[in-house]
Amino acid sequence: MYQSLLVLRFLTSRIMPFIAVLAVALCVTLVIVVVSVMSGFLDMLKDSGRTLVGDVVLSKEVTGIPYYRELIEEIEKLPEAEAASPVIETFGLLQMPYGPDSDRNVKSIEMVQVWGIEPATLSRVIDFQKTVYWKTPDQQTAETLAKDDPRLDPSYNRLQEAMAMRGTGAPALPGIMLGIEMSLFNERQRDGSYRTSRFGSGTQERAYWMPLQNVSLTVVPVSESGDIDFQQKRAFSIVNEFQTGVYQIDANRVLIGLDTAQDMLRLSESVLLDTTNLDENEMPRRIGVSPARATTILVKAKPEYSPIELRNAIEGLYERFAMEKSTEEGAVEMPYPVSVRTWEQRLKDLIGPVEKERALMRVLFSLVYVVCAGLVLAIFWSIVHEKTRDIGILRSVGAGRTGILTIFLAYGLTIGVVGSAAGLGLAWLVVDNINEIHTAMGEPAPRWAWMVAAAFAAASATGALVAGMRGSVLHTLLWSIIGLVIAGIAALLYYHVGVTIWDPSVYYFSTIPNKIDMTNAYQTMAFATIFSVFGAAIPAAKAADTDPVRSLRYE
Amino acid sequence: MSTNPHAPATTMPLLSAHRLSKTYRMGRVDVPVLRDASIEVQQGEWVSVVGLSGSGKSTLLHLLGGLDRPDRPQKGDRDAGTVHFEGRLITTLGAHGLNQYRNRAVGFVFQFYHLLPELTVLENAMLPAMKGRSPLAWFAATPMRQRAAELLERFGLAHRLTHRPNELSGGERQRVAIARALMNEPKVLLADEPTGNLDANTGGEILTEISNLHRNGLTVVMVTHDPAIAALADRTVRLLDGRVVSSGS
Repeated sequence: MYQSLLVLRFLTSRIMPFIAVLAVALCVTLVIVVVSVMSGFLDMLKDSGRTLVGDVVLSKEVTGIPYYRELIEEIEKLPEAEAASPVIETFGLLQMPYGPDSDRNVKSIEMVQVWGIEPATLSRVIDFQKTVYWKTPDQQTAETLAKDDPRLDPSYNRLQEAMAMRGTGAPALPGIMLGIEMSLFNERQRDGSYRTSRFGSGTQERAYWMPLQNVSLTVVPVSESGDIDFQQKRAFSIVNEFQTGVYQIDANRVLIGLDTAQDMLRLSESVLLDTTNLDENEMPRRIGVSPARATTILVKAKPEYSPIELRNAIEGLYERFAMEKSTEEGAVEMPYPVSVRTWEQRLKDLIGPVEKERALMRVLFSLVYVVCAGLVLAIFWSIVHEKTRDIGILRSVGAGRTGILTIFLAYGLTIGVVGSAAGLGLAWLVVDNINEIHTAMGEPAPRWAWMVAAAFAAASATGALVAGMRGSVLHTLLWSIIGLVIAGIAALLYYHVGVTIWDPSVYYFSTIPNKIDMTNAYQTMAFATIFSVFGAAIPAAKAADTDPVRSLRYE
Repeated sequence: MSTNPHAPATTMPLLSAHRLSKTYRMGRVDVPVLRDASIEVQQGEWVSVVGLSGSGKSTLLHLLGGLDRPDRPQKGDRDAGTVHFEGRLITTLGAHGLNQYRNRAVGFVFQFYHLLPELTVLENAMLPAMKGRSPLAWFAATPMRQRAAELLERFGLAHRLTHRPNELSGGERQRVAIARALMNEPKVLLADEPTGNLDANTGGEILTEISNLHRNGLTVVMVTHDPAIAALADRTVRLLDGRVVSSGS
C-alpha cells in the first residue's frame, strides 16, 4: 500500500515528475501528430488511387484483350464482382490550344497518358462523375464566380457532355477530358479549388477556360508483332476537365471515348483477310473477324469481398474463358499471360514511396522513445539521489528491496502512462485543429496578439527589475528569461505575415489530414510507457541496492 | 529509575547480541566500528548505550534492529556475530525475514526524526502498518487509521493529523516518529539519540514520553552520549572503540 501512496505523493508534490510527464507528453504528441498526418496523407492518396482504377485491374498492354464484352459479362457473374468497365490505355502527344506562337499554329505539345473510357460503365466501377471538375455550380460557389464564367449558364451542362464524350459543335468533334493540372491557365487556389487565369482588362477581360477549346491528339497504333503503324491524329473538343486528387494523374492523363480510342489504335472489330489466298476478283479472301479489344478491364469488388479475393477469382475465370475460346471455331486466341492486379499492386509506384516515407518517419521518430527513456533516467537519478534518506527510512520500517524497486518502477510507469495520455490529448487537439492552426499561421497575426505579448514581456522585465533590486539572482534570471522569450514571441507575431507550410499545389490535397491514427497512437503510448519504465529501471535498481544504514546517515 | 515492575523475571533475554563485530570500508581502508560487542536486554528493561562519537553506539543499534548485518565470524566460531530476539536467531534470517523483524518486532526512533516529507502526520504514523497491504486496503483501513490517530492523540498531535512534517516543531516531529515506531506494537523501541536535535525542554518532554512507554512495559534500547539521559535507564552499557567496556545500573 505504501508504494502506491508514495507514488501518488511523489507525483503530485514535486516539480520534477511534472517535468518528466511534460517531456513524455511532448514526445508522444510529436510522434502521434507527425505519423497521423503522414498516415492520413497516405490514406487520402490510397482513397484517391482506389477511385481511379477500382479494385482489380485486368490488362494486356498494346495488343489488348479480345472478346472483352463477353469477358466482362462473365466477370460480372462472379459472386465477388460488382461491376466492370473496359478501358484502352496508351500514350500520345497532345497539341494544346495555346503555345509560344498560337497565331502561327506553334502550340505546346505535351506527352500524355491516354485513357479511352466508357463513362457510363466506368461510373459503375469508380466514382467517375465525382472527378469531373466543371459542373453546374451550387449556389454558394456560383456567388464566387466571375459573371462571364460559362458555368453560370443554366443551359450549359458540362457533366452531360463529359458523360457523352462528345463536343457540342457542328460537326460535333469527339470529346476529350484533360487532367485539371494539365492546363497552364488553371490556377490552384489555397483552398484547393481551381480558377482560370484571366486576360485583358475592362470589358475585354476574359477567362481562359479549357472546356471552350479544341486540341489535337496523336497516337501510334502498334501491331501484335510490335510493328508501328501510321500515327493517328485527330481533333478533339475539350468537354471538361477532371480532378482525381493525384497530381501525377491530373497533370498527365487525358480521357477520350473508348470507341474513338479503339478506332485510332486499330483495336476496333475488323475483318481478317488472307493476302495469299485471292478470290475471283483477285481480292484477299475473308477468313474471319478480329474482335474489338480493350487493353484494360477495371473491376469493382462487392463490399463483402477483398480485392485479393476478386483478383484470384478473375485469374481463374480468365483461364477458363481462354480455354473455352481456344476450342471455339473461328475465334482468335486469347492473349496469355495477362496481368491481373489489385489496385494496390497496380498503384505501388505511387503509394510505395509515401509508405516508405512513413516507415522512415516512424524509424526516425522512434529515437524519441530513447529521448523519453533518457529524460526519465536523468530525472529519476536525481530523484533517487534526493530520496536516499527516505529509502533508509522505508527500510527501517520494514520495506524490502523489492518494495523500494516497486516504488520507483511504478513511479516510472505512472509518469509514462500519465505522460502518454496527456500526449494523446495534446496530439488530438493539434491534429483535430491542424487546418485551423495552419490557416491561422497563414494569416498575419492580429494586432491584439502581439500587443498582449508585448505587455507580458514588459511585465516580466519589471519583475526582473524588482527581483534585481531585492538582490535575488535566481528570480532576476528567471524573470529575464521569461521576458526575453515573450518579447521574442511578440516580435515574431509583429513581423509574422503568414506562412503556408501545406501548399496544396505540392501535396495534391487541399486540406491537411486531421484524423488521428489510433493504432499508431496506442503503439506510441505503449512504447513511451515502456521506455519510461526502462528509464526508471536503473535508478530504481540503484535505490533498491541502497544500504539503509548509509541512507539514514545521508545528508 | 527502577526496573519496570511489569517485567517478568526470566533468564532468557528478549534481545541479545553476542560478540558482534562490524567493519566499514572507507575507500581502501577497513575501519572496525564494533569489536566483539555483546549485550543482553531483558524484556521490559530500559538500556542506555553510551560512548564517545564513533564508539559504535548507532552501529550496535542498527545490528540489533536488523538494519545491518554483523561481520561474518571466523570459521568454527559459531557463537560469534549473532543476534537473538526472543531466543530466535535473527542474523541468519533472509531478507524477507529481516524486513518482517524490523516491521513487527522493533520500532526505530532517530535523532533527525526521519519522517517522509510528502506524507501527512497520520500517513507517516501509519507507514509500518501499510507494508504488505494492497492499495485497495487503503479504502478499508479504518482500524489502521484509528490506531495511528489514537497514538498521535496520545502524544498530543490530534490537531496535526493532516499536517506535513515541515509544518511541525522538532518535538512534534519526534512524537510522530515515536508514534510511527509504535504503530505495529513492537516489543522493543530502538532510539538513536532521540533528543539529540531538540532543546532541553522539548527533549525532556520526549524522554517523559519514552519513560511512560517503558513504564507500560515497552523494552527500550536508547543510544545517547548524555550521561544525564543515560541515568534515566535501568542499565547503561558503555562502548569504547567498539568494545563494551562496562555494563551496569
